[in-house]
Amino acid sequence: MPVDHKRINGPEESVPYELFARLSGLTSEKAFEQLYKAGKRSDGREFEEHRKIFLKNGAVSQAKGSAYIEMGQTKVIVSVFDPREIPNRSDYSLKGELYCEFKFAPFSCAKRRLHQQDNEEKQYSCIMKKALESAVCLHELPNFQVDIYALVMHNDGSALSAAITAAGVALVEAGVPMYDIITSVTVGIQQGVKLVDPDSLEEQMCQVQFLSEKYQDNNHGLLIISKLHTQEQLCQFYQNGYVSLEVLKSGLEVLSKTCEVIVPLVQKCLIKHITNGIKS
Amino acid sequence: MSRKKELLSRVGLRLDGRRADELRRIRCKLGVFTQPDGSAYIEQGLTKVLAAVYGPHQVRSKQKAQHDTCIINTQFSMAVFSTNERKKRPRGDRKSTELSMHLQQALLAVIKTELYPWSQIDVYVEVLHGDGGIYPACVNAATLAIIDAGIPIKEYVCACTASLGNNDIPMLDVSHQEEVIGGPTLTVAALPMSGKIVLMEMSQRFHLDHLPKVLDKALEGCKDIKAILDEAVKNHVREMGSSTGWANTTS
Amino acid sequence: MSLCDAEKTFILHGVAENFRSDGRDREGYRPIEIETDIVQHAFGSARLRLANTDILVAVKIEVDTPLPERPFEGKIEFFVDCSANATPDFEGRGGETLAIELSNILASAYKSPKTFNLKKLCILKGKKCWKLYVDILILECGGNLFDAVSLAVKAALFNTKVPLIKSVNIDGDNVELDVSDNVFDCERLDVTNAPVMVTVCKIGDNCVVDPNLAEEQCSVGSIVVAISQEYFSTVTSIGIGSLHAQTLCSSLELGQKVGIRLNEALMDTLSHITSDQDFGFLK
Repeated sequence: MPVDHKRINGPEESVPYELFARLSGLTSEKAFEQLYKAGKRSDGREFEEHRKIFLKNGAVSQAKGSAYIEMGQTKVIVSVFDPREIPNRSDYSLKGELYCEFKFAPFSCAKRRLHQQDNEEKQYSCIMKKALESAVCLHELPNFQVDIYALVMHNDGSALSAAITAAGVALVEAGVPMYDIITSVTVGIQQGVKLVDPDSLEEQMCQVQFLSEKYQDNNHGLLIISKLHTQEQLCQFYQNGYVSLEVLKSGLEVLSKTCEVIVPLVQKCLIKHITNGIKS
Repeated sequence: MSRKKELLSRVGLRLDGRRADELRRIRCKLGVFTQPDGSAYIEQGLTKVLAAVYGPHQVRSKQKAQHDTCIINTQFSMAVFSTNERKKRPRGDRKSTELSMHLQQALLAVIKTELYPWSQIDVYVEVLHGDGGIYPACVNAATLAIIDAGIPIKEYVCACTASLGNNDIPMLDVSHQEEVIGGPTLTVAALPMSGKIVLMEMSQRFHLDHLPKVLDKALEGCKDIKAILDEAVKNHVREMGSSTGWANTTS
Repeated sequence: MSLCDAEKTFILHGVAENFRSDGRDREGYRPIEIETDIVQHAFGSARLRLANTDILVAVKIEVDTPLPERPFEGKIEFFVDCSANATPDFEGRGGETLAIELSNILASAYKSPKTFNLKKLCILKGKKCWKLYVDILILECGGNLFDAVSLAVKAALFNTKVPLIKSVNIDGDNVELDVSDNVFDCERLDVTNAPVMVTVCKIGDNCVVDPNLAEEQCSVGSIVVAISQEYFSTVTSIGIGSLHAQTLCSSLELGQKVGIRLNEALMDTLSHITSDQDFGFLK
């Protein structure tokens, strides 16, 4: 990877000290056992309960539209800039384009992130772009490009979902024509338990396969969907891990349901934005 | 270290058992792909190259268009697994940019560019396996691909390398092993029929007195390669035409 | 490639009638050809042609240090290179977006320990492990890249021979590996669970697999599913367009059904390949 010489770079490779400290000593398997026994998650939520969301538009004054979202500890800021002509393009395109950049701030995760986008961030940008492309009326922006930047300031799980939901609000504030309100939710799957809106520990828990004998169920993984709610259309769907068809289907239902829960929140935020606009 | 001795044994055989004036085995095929307008595959010893030609078509960036000739756009790239040590990037480094330019020069010399004003021809070469003589293999493959695309050329352009073994015997078609051991390498791209030289490049050194004979050897190699390519083209055309039945009437 | 409305309607009607423009039904694949062991420098390689989609995969192996958070595991890295030979659009950095998308999906599909066990690639805990570089070269693209790439990768991994380590000498912080001198002394990788990807493409009211370039143009939304045994290792939607939850479920079912069949056919073919069937590009 080419090194960015314009800024002072941190060490290329670093190891979080927790690995050596063994302070937490809590392996994913043990954490899951605790959670399973309690029937509740570490922050007191039910398995299929979403964290409290704080959503506010107009967080970045320079941007045309922006939104700030908090889901538990996860904090994401999304800014949308004015449509501009698609750069480096000679032919005229009838449809507009979106440019998405998803970035974890260097200090947002347990492990320090570099300033340049790594592969995971590129993949998330890609997923985000896909989700938003089906929500924006691209034919109304011929030969234009809308730039969307998402910056995760604190990653405590479900950062991508938070970014997509916030991006929907930011796009509305920027006045970009859209078909519908877009919401996104993540669910983690482990041993048939579905953890809606997992935090980063739970996300990790859902990525591994437990070795001990008592866990016979192989299902584990993450599901992320984005939904346009009036039409009930899924505009983006992503899953990883190792999940059977039945679990996938039931997970889908849970996700759809949770999306509906978020919609009023987004609507409220938008209404507030408009009434404030009228008042001033 | 008597490294010069190692290139040629006492009985005149090289490391891989060839004689000094022997080429490696050349196998080639035209029309390997369907989507490009012309494509070719060539194997020279272990060096394997694929070439594809798109065009002539409209110029992609309007500023570059020229009213009297067509522009030839070349790109050289090397698969990351083509060398012993895995490469980091397939293209974009200085060596591949240089080779792209040299390839463009060689092709400009033969393509009748004046026939296609305002247009562009794309030539892409991909090295699948590099074992010495990459540039010559690329030139030869590109020539075949251009012929397959049906683009008019003045004559074949062929390239070949030559070296000097044991300080006075010229050797043809240097392999990677011989390059590494360290003989001087002279790369020549030439028009074998008219005997013109399009490009000549030399690495390391030998005395000026040796140049004529090494150059002669390389040109001879180009002629041999031309004969092989010509044969392949004829076979290809015969095969293509056999469905219509006309090939039988001429031969 | 751009199609006019009439052409699109023709394809749409064909799909509705379960008789596509090239004579296949909705679940049918175009002919696939596989060759293995065609790159001499590599530890394993495969070339796959799916109609005129042409993929070359080579696996190289290097010794590396395991990640500190995963001391028991080896590494695998996917690198996709879209050769300009496939289409002039890939010239320079034009193919980069597609290449990143492909390599990310592959990485995600191979991430779960149930699909591909990286623990087998560990040589010495926390010190030494094998790193597999899976390099994918796209030489021609005639639609359905995802399926073709995943099949080729699986074939190449099947073909991969990992050198056998006879002994490990530890001297303080230095670790010396003693690799077996015999070239034929090697281990095969276990790829029975390695995922196979199927692109399910919604055209009109129906879903088809293995779309060609023209059909990809008519699609209103498509998803890629990576199937490992009967489990899903990755599902992702690609391209513009949204799906109803109902459609998504039915396309998941279709993808699973076809994926299992495809995997069986691939494993069967791979077990029949003998080393003397090498034709390469000269065929």
